[in-house]
Amino acid sequence: MIPLTAYLIVGAILFAIGVYTVIAQRAAVMILMGIEVLLNAIGLNIIAFWRFTAPTDYSAQIFAILIITIGAVEMAIGLALMMLLYRQRQTVEVDAYAELKR
Amino acid sequence: MSEAFEIVAFIISAFIAIAGALGMTTTMSMFRSGIFLMASFIGVAGLFILLTADLIGVLQIMMYIGGFLVMIVFMVMVMHDPGGAMMAGMDMAFVERWFSKGLVPREPPHSGHSGDMHGAHGQEHRAHRRDSHPMPQGKAGDHRSHSVHHDEHAGDDHQSMQDMDNSGHAGHAAHHGNDKNGMDMGGMDMSMVTPVRPAAAWLAGAIGVVLVSMLLLRPTWRVVNAMPDPDSARRVGHLLMEKYMVAFEGAGFLILIGIFGAVLLARPSSHPDDPSRAARVAVAEKPEPIADDGLVPLPVPDKQTEHKEHHRSDGHGA
Repeated sequence: MIPLTAYLIVGAILFAIGVYTVIAQRAAVMILMGIEVLLNAIGLNIIAFWRFTAPTDYSAQIFAILIITIGAVEMAIGLALMMLLYRQRQTVEVDAYAELKR
Repeated sequence: MSEAFEIVAFIISAFIAIAGALGMTTTMSMFRSGIFLMASFIGVAGLFILLTADLIGVLQIMMYIGGFLVMIVFMVMVMHDPGGAMMAGMDMAFVERWFSKGLVPREPPHSGHSGDMHGAHGQEHRAHRRDSHPMPQGKAGDHRSHSVHHDEHAGDDHQSMQDMDNSGHAGHAAHHGNDKNGMDMGGMDMSMVTPVRPAAAWLAGAIGVVLVSMLLLRPTWRVVNAMPDPDSARRVGHLLMEKYMVAFEGAGFLILIGIFGAVLLARPSSHPDDPSRAARVAVAEKPEPIADDGLVPLPVPDKQTEHKEHHRSDGHGA
């Protein structure tokens, strides 16, 4: 049987890739994608822990469902915000949205 | 499920998940990023199914694949260079070069004269494409639709379509990106990643190494050997309807509010300072005719007959 640590390592690598994406990408869509990868890593960790430490309590799956739901809502809001900002600035690169820094 | 099969399935799923995520973040083409991210989600769904959480795996595929198709459409519509053809020639790290393989580099659009030339060429090209379709109405409708669609959407759509079928015409593709707004992109850094990319890579690598080494050094978790119910979806449904009812309702309410918020944000605002209002006012003032549908116009009841009838009724009245 695959050990728990293997799944957790996959989750950790996904998390690192997601962090890199969120920091290094310039377009808003790519940052949303990085956030999705982060959420995926979290979900993977939760399900792995559920399977190996408490397989008779199904609350973890409900947690994963909630994470997926929140990811979907976040994507919808993020895309709407992106459309709004694009209409105002004609760009979706987050470096252009620097009003609050001034 | 035999042992060997489980190991092979785990390796394949983990590889797809990690390679997909890596490709998502390193390729220069946003379109490819979306496809890679779908692959990554499918890999994670495979891991979920291996962990006997079939419901979550299926849910993952359904929700994310649907959502990401929408996202890719968004990229194609809105992004500056979704095909990544402009940065394909940039300096890239090894992974980036590998994941961006096959992208045809092309000239960044220069401001001024050459940009206009590109635009003209693009129009010509598109006219050619349009003419290749059987269209009963000829040049007049063609011209009008050009003036309507001469904006970023058409340009980017065109571009990504070309990238998709790898027609090799990317060199000739007109980049309309910011012609309309007169923004000069010539001097800007066109790359998709920020200048802090090396630092971000080091940071993410450090996070990954720390997490993995912590996982490896930690002795063990108390692993229970019990098998979960193979029909776990049923258990989850019962839990959702009993113990976690409030969370379930809350999630539903969150989605509802999220939809309201998205609609509210994406609507063209009626604030007078908002630039999107100009477009809306223009549309409201002069509605765009639906062109190029190739239908014979219906015989409208013209004014004269109406007038006559009016007169006749008048005569009757008198």
